[in-house]
Amino acid sequence: MTPDLKVTLAGVEFSNPIMTASGCCGYGEELADVFPLEKLGALVTKSITREPRLGHPPPRTAETPAGMLNAIGLANVGVKRFLAEKIPWLETQKTKIIVNVAGSSLDEYVEICAMLADCERADMIELNISCPNVSEGGIQFGTNPAMTEKVIAEVKKVFSRPLVAKLTPNVTDIVEMAKAAEQGGADVLSLINSMVGTSIDIETWQTRLTNNKGGLTGPAIKPIALALVDAVHSNCRLPIIGIGGIATAADVIEFLLVGASAVQVGTALFVEPDAPVKILNDLTSYLKRKQLARVTDLVGQVRKY
Amino acid sequence: MKKLATTTVSVTARRDLRNDYYSLTFGPYPRVTKCRPGQFVHIRLPETDILFRRAMSIASVDTDRREIEIIFKVVGRGTTVLSRYRKGDQVDLLGPLGNTFSLPKKSERALLLGGGVGYPPLLYMATHMVRSGFDPKSIEFFYGGRSDRDILDRTRIKKLGVNFHPVTEDGSFGQKGLITHAVESFIQGQKKDRMRIFACGPEPMLKAVDDLGLREGINGELSLEAPMPCGIGVCLGCVVPLKQGGHARVCADGPVFAIGEVIL
Ligand SMILES: Cc1cc2nc3c(=O)[nH]c(=O)nc-3n(C[C@H](O)[C@H](O)[C@H](O)COP(=O)(O)OP(=O)(O)OC[C@H]3O[C@@H](n4cnc5c(N)ncnc54)[C@H](O)[C@@H]3O)c2cc1C
Ligand SMILES: Cc1cc2nc3c(=O)[nH]c(=O)nc-3n(C[C@H](O)[C@H](O)[C@H](O)COP(=O)(O)O)c2cc1C
Ligand code: FES
Repeated sequence: MTPDLKVTLAGVEFSNPIMTASGCCGYGEELADVFPLEKLGALVTKSITREPRLGHPPPRTAETPAGMLNAIGLANVGVKRFLAEKIPWLETQKTKIIVNVAGSSLDEYVEICAMLADCERADMIELNISCPNVSEGGIQFGTNPAMTEKVIAEVKKVFSRPLVAKLTPNVTDIVEMAKAAEQGGADVLSLINSMVGTSIDIETWQTRLTNNKGGLTGPAIKPIALALVDAVHSNCRLPIIGIGGIATAADVIEFLLVGASAVQVGTALFVEPDAPVKILNDLTSYLKRKQLARVTDLVGQVRKY
Repeated sequence: MKKLATTTVSVTARRDLRNDYYSLTFGPYPRVTKCRPGQFVHIRLPETDILFRRAMSIASVDTDRREIEIIFKVVGRGTTVLSRYRKGDQVDLLGPLGNTFSLPKKSERALLLGGGVGYPPLLYMATHMVRSGFDPKSIEFFYGGRSDRDILDRTRIKKLGVNFHPVTEDGSFGQKGLITHAVESFIQGQKKDRMRIFACGPEPMLKAVDDLGLREGINGELSLEAPMPCGIGVCLGCVVPLKQGGHARVCADGPVFAIGEVIL
């Protein structure tokens, strides 16, 4: 018997728990040349802002041991072009679409989400209140519980479909932020966004990113992400999308066991663009081997000492 | 065949060239028929802790044997690992990626400019042009390096029948000086509207070529390099600023750009 991979988050059914992370799959066009996007539970778009953004000047990525730093700086086409140029193509794709939204002010978040409210194809919005790479906004919302609650509550007024709050690990107590998001009316939590870090060239004494610091992602952050998902799952009732260093089915299983209901694959797509397909195959084999009928049977089942 | 795919291939031949340069040939590569000059493959280094793939231009293809060749210089960790591969070792290729050099008109004189590690795509371009029926004598192959030891594959280039112009900074082989100076003296008194430049090399060289093309009114194309996390256009890490404003992704919108198009 083929195990059931379907998961339901905030009333929305996904064909499987594997999603691609914001900023790691563009708006989907390139990945569609690698595998049919209908294989994915969902595609999460690059963060959309009100105005188009160029992002930081290059260099804006650097390789690190078991990971990478990026300071792309939210380069994106802006919400108007997103709706006019990207959505029509996304509409033809048989996968759920989660539109990631970033802003530098409360007004900006609300305005973008209001524009997306009329766009049926935006199955969910993921609010990026955690980008470490822009000086204004973004992470300011995600590191302050009152602002987290406020921005979510305001967006909920204009966008009626489910809202995902994407949390930053760059805080002392992520549970406090998770609770604030829940208080504000978030339907789902996703975590983690990248961790602030930097890297320096010892020959030139120059930082490797024009932004001087960036966000660390990839395998290096997986243990941290797992511990944070565990903490949030133990203290908060909202469903969780686990993110951070996921490259294999084994990684996915770990995240499900500590309480994630779904996951996003980010940096691993740069190395293996068809990673989600491989993950799904291996996940199915694992469930069969463990004689589990549903992938949801794994969620939160971690055994602790 | 899917537009983009990863393929496991074996090393079928390996050549240790001079001065830390190596050539590796991979096969069987079913996507060999899709390869064009200017394109690159993104190479995964299995069994290492190196995360990203490494981008390497395609230096030659053999469609009968379904093989492709890369030529590279050891400059860091990834290229050190690559240089240790032996016949039979397996690697994983993503590609062919990127856009291509455009073929000139048959009536045009092609100026191929390869500087140092930028030489491989121009070898492929020259070979492809000759195979496509271009008169080898309409191809001027400029190859620049620091010294004698940097100029690879001399017999191979000569065998193509192209006009070969080696240039070294210290004068130990060919003309002495910078490749752009050699090109500059070559074009003196020639019809510039009948020429097209194709160049790949270090950034200062490309900048000088870009300036030269604009100043002398010679059209052409430059192949750029940038650190490339993904190679397929999704991470936005490899961008280069455009003169008209905005950014282009070197991996997916390039690596080949028109002279005058990018800010170097
Ligand atoms: C489209 C393209 C085609 C290329 N073709 C060739 C070729 O035919 N022959 C050849 O010898 N080299 C070529 N290069 C350069 C080659 O990719 C780098 O030399 C190589 O990635 C360095 O890896 P490393 O681990 O040895 O060096 P390290 O310095 O240890 O690499 C560290 C990081 O920097 C990146 N990086 C460093 N320098 C470069 C660079 N110049 N370009 C891209 N990424 C860099 C690496 O990808 C890696 O992420 C090409 C690059 C590009 C983008
Ligand atoms: C190049 C790059 C760009 C990213 N851009 C965004 C973004 O625009 N919005 C966002 O919410 N997260 C962004 N992220 C963070 C990822 O969505 C994800 O949270 C993070 O990379 C951790 O997952 P990973 O280890 O699987 O990559 C980006 C990550 C990378 C590597
Ligand atoms: S390397 Fe990722 S967009 Fe070019």
